[in-house]
This record gives sequence, C-alpha cells and structure tokens, in this order.
Amino acid sequence: MSYHYNEAFENPDYHYSETLEIDRSKERNSSFQQNLHDSSLHDDSYDSYEGHSGRGQRNQDYPMAIPMSSMQPGFRYSHSTSRSAVPNTNPYGNPHTNPSFEYEPELAYTSPSTFHAMDGPYVRRSSDMSDGGSFSQRYNRRQADLVYRMPSSLLRLDSNAETYNEDKHKQEKLIKNLASMSSRERIKAIQKTPKTMKEKRDIRNKVLMEKTKKSVSYSTQINCCTQCLYKTALSYRRFKSGLSEYFHLLQLWQKTLKVIGGKFGTSVLSYFVFLKWLLTFNIFSFLVNFSFITIPQLIASGPNNLTFNGLELLTGAGYFKKTVLYYGFYTNSTITKAENNSSYNMQLAYIFTIGIYFIICFFSLVYSMAKSFHKNFINPQTYAGSAAKLLCIWDFNITNEKAVKLKQSNLSTQIKESLSEVTLEVLNLSLKQKIARITVHLVAWVASLGTAAACCAGVYFLSRNNLQLLEGNKSELEKEAATLVLPIVVSLLNLLIPFCFALFGLIEKFQYPRHELYVTVIRNIFLKISIIGILCYYWLNDVATSEEECWESLVGQDIYRLIVIDFIFCLLGSFFGEFVRRIIGTKCCKKLGVPEFDIARNVLDLIYTQTLAWIGIFFAPLMPAMQIISFFIIFYVKKVSLMRNCQPPRKVWRASQMTTLFIFLLFFPSFTGVLSVMGVTIWRRTPSKQCGPFQGLTSVIDAVSGWIHILDSYSSSKWVVWIYRNLIGSVHFFFILTVIVLIITYLYWQIIEGRKIMVRLLHEQIINEGKDKMFLLNKLRALQTSKLDPSKGEQQERSSSLYQPSRQAALQMTASLERPFGRNGRDYYAESSSAGIPEKIGLSPADAEGHQPAISETLALALRARQQAEWEMEDDDDEDFRP
Amino acid sequence: MKVYTFPSLFRLFYRYRDLAPQLVPLSYIDKPDVKLPYELIGSMAELKDNPFRQRIAEVFSEDGEGNMTLDDFLDMFSVLSEMAPRDLKAYYAFKIYDFNNDDYICKSDLEKTVNKLTRNELTPEEVCLVCDKVIDEADQDNDGKLSVEDFQHMIVRAPDFLSTFHIRI
Repeated sequence: MSYHYNEAFENPDYHYSETLEIDRSKERNSSFQQNLHDSSLHDDSYDSYEGHSGRGQRNQDYPMAIPMSSMQPGFRYSHSTSRSAVPNTNPYGNPHTNPSFEYEPELAYTSPSTFHAMDGPYVRRSSDMSDGGSFSQRYNRRQADLVYRMPSSLLRLDSNAETYNEDKHKQEKLIKNLASMSSRERIKAIQKTPKTMKEKRDIRNKVLMEKTKKSVSYSTQINCCTQCLYKTALSYRRFKSGLSEYFHLLQLWQKTLKVIGGKFGTSVLSYFVFLKWLLTFNIFSFLVNFSFITIPQLIASGPNNLTFNGLELLTGAGYFKKTVLYYGFYTNSTITKAENNSSYNMQLAYIFTIGIYFIICFFSLVYSMAKSFHKNFINPQTYAGSAAKLLCIWDFNITNEKAVKLKQSNLSTQIKESLSEVTLEVLNLSLKQKIARITVHLVAWVASLGTAAACCAGVYFLSRNNLQLLEGNKSELEKEAATLVLPIVVSLLNLLIPFCFALFGLIEKFQYPRHELYVTVIRNIFLKISIIGILCYYWLNDVATSEEECWESLVGQDIYRLIVIDFIFCLLGSFFGEFVRRIIGTKCCKKLGVPEFDIARNVLDLIYTQTLAWIGIFFAPLMPAMQIISFFIIFYVKKVSLMRNCQPPRKVWRASQMTTLFIFLLFFPSFTGVLSVMGVTIWRRTPSKQCGPFQGLTSVIDAVSGWIHILDSYSSSKWVVWIYRNLIGSVHFFFILTVIVLIITYLYWQIIEGRKIMVRLLHEQIINEGKDKMFLLNKLRALQTSKLDPSKGEQQERSSSLYQPSRQAALQMTASLERPFGRNGRDYYAESSSAGIPEKIGLSPADAEGHQPAISETLALALRARQQAEWEMEDDDDEDFRP
Repeated sequence: MKVYTFPSLFRLFYRYRDLAPQLVPLSYIDKPDVKLPYELIGSMAELKDNPFRQRIAEVFSEDGEGNMTLDDFLDMFSVLSEMAPRDLKAYYAFKIYDFNNDDYICKSDLEKTVNKLTRNELTPEEVCLVCDKVIDEADQDNDGKLSVEDFQHMIVRAPDFLSTFHIRI
C-alpha cells in the first residue's frame, strides 16, 4: 500500500492526471495480493471506520450527514450484494469475471510524463470533475467484482473492509480536492457528479467541514470582519439565486411553451422560443428609446392639431405625422426647464441612444451566436447518422398521448425509410444523370435568383412611381391609399415567391432532405433581403435626395406600412395557409391531410420584420412598440392556429442546428445590412432642413463632432475628446484593431486545425486499439485450446504488457477530448468484461456474431487459470488465509 | 444539487406531494422516510405517456425499482432540467437506455429501445438491422456494444440532445 503515501497524493498536478493510475495500482494491491488482508490491516481499517463515524457524530450541525456517514459501509455492502443479484449473472458461478484486471498492473508503472504532455491545463479541470463523478459507482462496482472473486464469505467481509478503507481514502482526497476550489467551482463540480442527492449532500458537508477545519487551524482568531464578509457574501449569493429564480418566473409564456413543447416537440417549440427572443430585443429597445428620446420630447412638445380618422393605423401617415412616432416630430433644441439649470440635448440623446442600442444589439447577437455555435457543435461532417438519430431522438418534452403515438409512428416510418435508403444510396449515377442533375440545380438557381432580381426591379420602379404620385397634386385620401400599394405588393411577393421556390424543390431531386431545406432557406432569405436592400436603396437614394419636406418621416411611414401590412398578411397566412388548408385537408381532399407547421418559412418571416424594425428605429423611434404589439398578437395567433390546425412536422428537424442558422442569418445579412444602412444615413446623407433633431446640419454625425468641439474648451473633459480623436475618429486605431483581431483569428484557426488532426489520430488509435484487443483475444483463445497449465499466468502477463501501449493511447484520447467522464469511462472499460461477459454468455444464442461468445469463454477460461495460479501463489505466502 | 433554487424547489416539492397528499408530510424537518411507489410517479403528467417512464423512474430511484423518495424525485428533475450539464444528462440518458444495467448498451438494449420508440411497428429483421447499424456507427472501440464513452462521444455530435432530454416542470 505504499502508493498511498507517495508524493502523487500531495502534488495536485500529479493528482489530477494520475489519480486513476494510482487507484488502479492500489486496487491491484488489494485484489490480487491478498496477503495484504492480514489482521493488522483489518484492525487498521476498522479503526479508521470508527474514526469516520465519529466524525459523523461531530457533524451534527449538518442535517443529513449523520445517517449518511454512519450508514455508509452498510450501504455499500448492500449495494454490492444487490449487484451480485443482477439478472443474467449468477452470483458465485463466475469467479472469472475480471478479465480486465489482467491488464491493469502495467499501467501503474507507465511513466506519468507521457500523460502530462497530453493533459493541457484545460483538461485537468474536467478530469478533476470526473474524478469526483466516478467515485461512487466505480467503487460500488469494484467491490462487487471483488465479491465475485472471493470464494468465501470471510474473505468477502474482509474485502469489504478493505475497499471501504480505500473508498474512504478516495473520498477524503476528493473532499480535499473540492475544498481547495473556489465555492463556485465546487458547486459546479458537485453538480456534475452523477450521484444521488444524499451522496452529494454528504460530500458537500464534508467539504465544508474540511474548509472550516482548515480555516480554524490557519487563523485561530476569526475576527468579526471576515465573518461579516462571509455572511454578506452568502446572503448575496442567496439573493442572487432567488432573484434569478423570480426572473425565471417572470418569463413570459412559460406554461404556453410547455404545452406547445408537450404537443409538438422541440422543433416547433424552437419557433416560439425564437419569437420570444426577438420580443425581448424589442422590449429592450422600446424601453431605451422611450425613456431617453420620447419622454424628454413629450415634456417639450406642443399640442397636435391634426385630426385622427382611423386610416392612419394602416398607413401611418396623417395624424401620426405630428406625433412622437416619427423622426420629424423631434426637436433639435436643448430641452431646459426654466428654473433648473440642467438641460437635455436632444440631438445627442437621439444619436447616442440609437447608437448604444445598436452596439448592445451587436454584442448580444454575437454572444448568442457564439454560444449557440459552441453549444451545438455545428460540424456537418461529423454528424452521427442513425446512431444519434435513434438514441437522441426521443423528445422528452412531449407529454401528450396523441403526440407520443404520432411521434412513434413517424419514427418507425423514418427508420424504414432510412433502411431503404441504405440500398438506394449504393446505386451510383451515370455521368449523364449527374450532368442532368447539375443542370437542373443550375437552372433552378438561375431561375430563383432571376425571380428575386425581377421582384427587386419591380419594387424599385413601383416605389419611384409612388414617390412621383405623392409629389403630384391629388387629394389627401387618394395619396394615402396610393401609399398602400407598395407594401401590399411587397408582402404579396414575400408570400407567393417562396411557394415558387418550393416548387423548384419538387423538380430538383436532392439526395438529402436537409440540403433541400438549406437551399430553400438560402433562396428565401436572399429574396427577402434583396427586397429590403432595394427598398433601402430607394429610400437613401431617391427619397433622401428628393425635395420632400421631411424625408426621414416619409421613410418611417414606409417602414410602418410595410410592417403593418406584413403583419396582416401573416395573420391571413395563418388563416388561409393553415385553417382553410385544414378544412380542405380534412373535409374535401382527404389525401392532403392536416397541414404541418412550416417552421422555416415562419422564422424567415420573423427575421424579415425584425430587419425592417431595426432599420425603422432611426426614422421612427417608437417602431419597437409596434413590433412588440405585432409579435404578441402573432404569438397567440400562431399558437391557436397551431393547436387547432396543425400536426407536428414529420421530418426530422434539427432544432438546435436550425436555431443556430437562424441566429446567424439574423446577424449576417440582416443586422449587418441594417448597420450599413445606418452608417450611410448618419455619415453620408443630409438630414432634412425643416424637421427633426438634426435640421440644419450637413450630416447627422456633425452633431457629435460639434459636441466634441465644444467639449474641447473644457479642460475637465479632455479625455473624451482624446478618445474621440484618437480612437473612434482615427483610421489607424481601427487598422491596428483589425490587424490584431485577424491575427488572433488566424491563431485560433491554426489551433483548431491542429486539434482536428489530433482528434483524427486519436480516433485512429482507438480503432487500432479495438483491433488489438480482438487480435489479443484471438491469441488467447488459441492458447486456451491447449490444456491449462500453471504457466498461464505468465502468458497472461505478457499479453497484458503487449496491451499496455494501446491503453495508454486510449487514455490520451480521453484526456484530449476533454470529456469529464473520460476517466470514468476508462474504468468502465476496464470493468467491461467483468459485467459484460457473463452477460454475453447468457445471451449468446441471441447473438448474431458467432465469435463473440467464444471469445468471452476463452477469456473466462484464461481468467480462471490466472486466478488459480494466483491462489496458488497466495498459498505459499500466507497459509492461514486460505479458505 | 444547486440546479434548483428555492421557489422551484417548492414547486417540485408540491408536485411530489400532490402525487400522494396522504403519504407525504408537509414538513421534512424530522426527515420522514417516505417513498412513493412507481405507480404514482409514473402517473405524473410529465411522465405518463413517455415510453421510457419506467426506466427513468428506475434509474433515478435509489432502490432501482422506481419507488422514489423526495431526494430521488428532485434528482430526477434536476437532471432533466435545462441547467444540467451535458455530461450529466448524457450519463443518465445512457443509464436509461441500458435496460439490463450492465453498464453497456448492447444489442438487446437497443432492440428494446427501438421497440419502445416505434411501438413495435418494425419487423424483427428491421429492428436487428437498425441496431447493427447503430452499433456499427457509434462503437468506437469495436467491442460490439456501446460504453458510456461511446455514448457521450455520440451525444457531442447530436446537438439536439440537450434540448430534447429535458422535461419542463
């Protein structure tokens, strides 16, 4: 047992990477060299057991600690016996159930440095976690193995004491380990361990005790100050968790989402979650705009003398022209209360509010995109096929009986399809067919891009026409009605063209349905974004340079109309697309059936409106309010329509991957496009002369440079000026920043490439290891065909030494993949045969592969031989111990 | 253990108590030894239609038969909550699919899983084919069955797992 006290225990670095090896060596000591089970050791373990429960007594302050710690040995014992009663394995008939033990001894002697090279600092933490995670089951199971091996109950008891001793030691180590972490890390580590609540609680209490013990010994006088500090920290933590919980409760539609998830699964749920996420964006922007731009303006504004006639709700013109809804209503003056000296500069408030809002939006989008990418490991090449499909497909969200049945039958058809696909994929196409296929794809792409371009041209000419109409002299009502033509046409295009694209999808035969999905999404987003782009071009190029009185307000009105009409079309769409479709599907044409909820189309619609709303923020600061209202209504309409009319989608919808894609789309063409439009508006366009906060300036940004110029005269705010001149206004700064970002990106890219190669190599190693194993097993079998003789043990030893390098490779693999359970897994691996092989023997008639049971039998034989050899050795060592 | 904070803990406790108000006391100060039988746990709205409900209850219960103490109950929903780390979820998912508790998902386990997923609508040959394919794909070390490692490796490449292995309470 000398391993217990070597430096590896004291040195944390060793500890993290080497724990398992040490464990193993120890186990080997305990299980193979049974001469260690002498009376002195027995006493020793008994003593420590006493000490342990004594500690439990001291522990009375902590609620659950007493029963747990005093109960522990009994608990483990019962656990081990219950394990021996596992079906398929007869409790004592398999004294040979430990094939993997043979391989272990070697590991203890491998040089630790080899592992260190692989274990980066990053890995260590996770392996540390897994260390905690693997304890309980590992030891329980380990013990069960020992029980199998011991022929008599006497030995068994002894082994219990022995393992208990080990166990205790291990736990102490874990506790020491946990105690050295910060409280947050500790909580996380404990959270990660797959144990029952009781065990976790026990560990935590022990850790806390360890900590207090340490602190007592460290500084005998705990002064009042630190205690106070500790208490505040604790209460702060409680407050924080409580607060976050209440925020959680505040979250909208928690129940509705649960119902939707229960009935339609995660895929449809992802649409509603996305909608909710966009809604929070809008709520935030509304709050910001309302409090920093609108409220000051409302204080300063005069009465509105226009009449309200109802049509405004649709057109956004008329009465609304002279309200806080539009840019044109805001004043350029500083708002001052007479008696108070403080003033409010409207120009700066306007530009800074919107600027800061966009910056926040930018970072939150980047953040959520990065998080989503990180979480979902988007990597189409490594996507596991049917395995992951089968084992990860069950949606535990679904709680509705009908939905469960539907899901099950969908799954069975899917599985049948994929089985038939296996045979289909084999047939490869001739050159002619390939060319035909590629031409079809090309034609479809050209057609769809052409349609989009034609739509854009149409929209552009229509809008120019509209502008001339507005300038001509017609009655007000006629003008207002004419303005509605453009948004209706745009919404119609948005509604109808996607159907054309869907038709293309029917002609094009994609090999995988997901390609079809991606292509349709890309074409649709291209259409929508190019329509918005052409509208922006029209606004910035034609409206802004026209002689209109207040072009910003005109743009705001256009956007208002687009959003309102789109909203109406969305409602009509869910009425006709889903309700009427269901009526047709169930009453007239039974073949069509109940419609499915088209997630992609609906999400793209959301992205489209959100883009418009973002553009609109500058021209109509209260646009988010409209967006909030429309999203609210859409949420409920969609929910009702979904519940009444739709059925869950039949195809597999990779919810998380698609959500990532949608967030990306929201960022890339949509948000970046909005930013560039904003850039042009602020830096390049002249604001209108008679209205708005920036009247009289040559460009919007002049407001800021003017302010900086004023600040320059105050010595106290020189730093602001310096920052503006040298950082924000300087080209060099941005150049350097870009270069640095590019370098970092390049470095990371290289690291990723390196890791990819490493992963590939390690994967190959694992496969080789599997082959090695097979080979060795075959060898073993060959050896076993000859009669058993005492030299078997040596043979075994040799084969295990052969085995060692591949094992090492596997260990490296687990370390580099940073899977917290990696080491745990090794142990499972080691135990694989102990539990798995009797199982195999039991199942062998059902097993299709003929060689498997044969191998396990051989293995079992080999093990028995080995064991006999060992017992013989023990007989020499301590005669009295023999059963 | 910290996955749930106070209010949701209460919510969970009341859910637990609602299953058998006459059995579960309101106060847990004196640590009563209460266990709800599987029949009650399995009848929860969140579980009653889940084809794996029995396995879930078995895996999370201390006695392995689906009878749950309050602690087991909390454990179950903390693992199935949104905040549980991926590996913890993967570990328990593995245990759920490991029907014979041998720490490996072998072919018989997979067959059971497929039958539960499809309500026995596939022929035995098809089931066999599917299982072979799955093992072939996910088995990294060629031992003919899936270990926790194989399973976790697979989970990493199935991003939807996190959102689907989740029960809203």
